[in-house]
Amino acid sequence: MFKGLPGWFHRLGSPAYFDAFAARWSPWCYIASLPLFAFGLWQALAVVPADYQQGDSFRILYIHVPSAWMSLFVFGLMALYSAIALIWRIKLCEILAMACAPIGAAFTLITLLTGSIWGKPMWGTWWDWDPRLTTELILLFLYLGVMGLYGAIDDRRAAARAAGLLSIVGVVLLPVIRYSVVWWNSLHQGQTIRLFGESSMDASMILPLWLMVLATKFWFAGSLLARARADNLRREAGKAWVRERVEKLP
Amino acid sequence: MTYFQYVALAYAVFFVVLAWDFAVPRLQVRRQLREVRSRLARASRGAAANVPNDEELSR
Repeated sequence: MFKGLPGWFHRLGSPAYFDAFAARWSPWCYIASLPLFAFGLWQALAVVPADYQQGDSFRILYIHVPSAWMSLFVFGLMALYSAIALIWRIKLCEILAMACAPIGAAFTLITLLTGSIWGKPMWGTWWDWDPRLTTELILLFLYLGVMGLYGAIDDRRAAARAAGLLSIVGVVLLPVIRYSVVWWNSLHQGQTIRLFGESSMDASMILPLWLMVLATKFWFAGSLLARARADNLRREAGKAWVRERVEKLP
Repeated sequence: MTYFQYVALAYAVFFVVLAWDFAVPRLQVRRQLREVRSRLARASRGAAANVPNDEELSR
């Protein structure tokens, strides 16, 4: 079944093949995310009962938590692509790593803003220099640093290597964010949802969360392919395959 | 502000940022393809205009 997989990976390294692949699959990833978003949001906003302490404001959780998980996941993936690109000099991995940065920054921004909006009615303040909030803000700055470094150097490959190195160094922040609510006294609540083991959240409230988690994953896949395609086209603008593709366009 | 307004604001932020994330790569791809197309058009116009010059040089 997987006999053709190594050959497919090899072909995917070709910029022309990747462009066709990304153009074909990116819209499908977005489309796959839409029913999940729709069903998840309907459950989150209309079906799940209000929290006995936080009332309806807890419904922010259904966008805040998936975005926060994505902010960490995307950074980890960016560092992994960067490491592969640095070790094996695979150009596609450079492109994918750098395409992760703005998406991760977007999810981190959503996390910070929605957390702030949730914090106001619950904590009485928009912001606090709490360990979880502060480390998440540092993560946003790291994403912006990676994007800035990649944009600041003219040579695309040298820029991707420098920015990739920054993302690899930045991985050290991920466990600090994850365990910040355990290591320090924090205004932010502790872990309530567990992938493995029993969550302290009521079972009736969990389903929309998993739907939104899945939806954000599909969204990320679509966005990653679209952004990587754009960068790939920018790098390859002078090549014959791009000219042929443009000539075929209506 | 009521709880409803906080929830509405948070979801608005979520959708605005995702809309930006959706639009930006599409605009980038469109711009790249447009630039390549205009470069091709310039090159073909230049090739057509260069014909008399070549004759001039050969003379």
